[in-house]
Amino acid sequence: MESLLSLVYSLMDRLLPLSFAEPAFMKRALLAVLFVAPAAAAVGVPLVQFRMAFFSDAIGHSAFTGVALGVLLGIHPLLTMVAFGLFVAYAITLVKGRTGLSPDTVIGVFFSTVIALGIAIISAQKGLTRNLQAYLYGDLLAISGVEVLWMSALSLAVAVYLFLAYNRILLLGVHEEFARSLGVRGRALEISFSLVVALVVTTAIRAVGILLVTALLVVPAAAARNVARGAATAFWIAIAISLASGLAGIAASYYFDTATGATIVLFTAAFFALTALLRLARGETT
Amino acid sequence: MTSRLAPFHTLEIRDLSVRAGGREILSGIHADIRCGEVTALIGPNGAGKTTLLLAILGLVPYAGEIRFCRAEEHGKGTPRIGYVPQRIDLDRNAPMTVLDFYALSSQRFPVFLGRSRKSRADAEAALNRGGSGHLIDRPLGKLSGGELQRVLLALALRDNPDILLLDEPVSGVDASGEELFCDFLDQIHRESRFSLLLVSHDLSVVTRHADRVICLNRSIVCQGATTEVLTPETLCAMYGSGAHLFSHGPSDGHGHLHGEKNE
Repeated sequence: MESLLSLVYSLMDRLLPLSFAEPAFMKRALLAVLFVAPAAAAVGVPLVQFRMAFFSDAIGHSAFTGVALGVLLGIHPLLTMVAFGLFVAYAITLVKGRTGLSPDTVIGVFFSTVIALGIAIISAQKGLTRNLQAYLYGDLLAISGVEVLWMSALSLAVAVYLFLAYNRILLLGVHEEFARSLGVRGRALEISFSLVVALVVTTAIRAVGILLVTALLVVPAAAARNVARGAATAFWIAIAISLASGLAGIAASYYFDTATGATIVLFTAAFFALTALLRLARGETT
Repeated sequence: MTSRLAPFHTLEIRDLSVRAGGREILSGIHADIRCGEVTALIGPNGAGKTTLLLAILGLVPYAGEIRFCRAEEHGKGTPRIGYVPQRIDLDRNAPMTVLDFYALSSQRFPVFLGRSRKSRADAEAALNRGGSGHLIDRPLGKLSGGELQRVLLALALRDNPDILLLDEPVSGVDASGEELFCDFLDQIHRESRFSLLLVSHDLSVVTRHADRVICLNRSIVCQGATTEVLTPETLCAMYGSGAHLFSHGPSDGHGHLHGEKNE
């Protein structure tokens, strides 16, 4: 494992002879962004079409409780965070399907329940707050080699999933019954997509934090919508924006000494503003 | 063609009922869809018309039986059902062209890797059939109601369905769009002879196109040949006294019927 990483580091020294990329922690941060940002943006494109930004936010905030649970139970908080995120995603999707309530109602109920549970645990356990800081704001520069490997595995898994399911997900997003009449298994697909989103969100939290994780999924996709007409263009523009923002954000945060996650999100927001202006300039308002 | 049933039924619905949320939406439905015929499904709002289509598609749970029977000319196996849903609320800004939309269900590899040459050729052929080939590279969300209906119909017809289900195909479509759609439907129906089940509020469309009519209001009100069923009495029973019929006069050979629903 470690030897594989050091091989990658020496390769990066050759390819990126930049002063800010010299320390090993910077290399890990760069690798983490290269893996996580495009995965988040790619999942974000159908997520935006499904109007699931609020869902992604709820999963992000469930991580808060996941971490608290981990500390409480003496399990590594990363594991409980991912597991709890997957559980909440599954529960929301299931309850939504069974009750027929509107998505934002169901998500709103889960969102507050989960946060309340997290606060209850934290308030009972003194000294937990310090532990949570890294998760609230993200701590890209403190990412370990193992986490980088986990992120690479995640981005590979997301790529495979989207390769297999992307068409059906988009079709389901256009019209549920029409998609199902063409043989798309709606419920199974909805659950699998929710779980993939939960996996991406909980992983990306390490990079940009609970408060900003939704931005990593939603903003590049939203910016791509401003300028793309076709499905393929939208997908690749979102990924390009996420990569450019990730790399620029790391570099800028190094020179200006700002929080890395927040700096990355600011770059995605700048891309959104730019594409929105382009759209206006082309005279498209609706 | 040897068949025990005459005329041949594509679809036999026996004692069908659908419940949702503790409420009976449909009950005691007995109906047949005949092979190659156009059957219109009419009834007031909330009568369960769309639910019946979804039951036929197997998309809602139901009690009772829906039997599919295949004419010999169509070969063995389960019949293919094409479906065009009621007016779709499209995401107007969705980055998706008509070709993208078509490719979603016609190619195995994801659309973000591009569209196969076969997808484009198939989409062109299907769209050209309905005179809407020029729409192929237009964004799906920017189509007019009539254009979208024709794109959806082209897609539903792609796999040569044995049964085609159309849910309010001309609602929200202007008069010229409606005429285009109906002409296209007539033409392809003559060519392919699929069984067509058409939900419509527009009685002029029904009288012009349907061989048989099923009147539905939670259960079957009546069914039979179009001319027998569409009487002022049945319409009055279904829609209330606001429904009326009038003829365009002797110069118009087939005498259109118009129904209007007054709340």
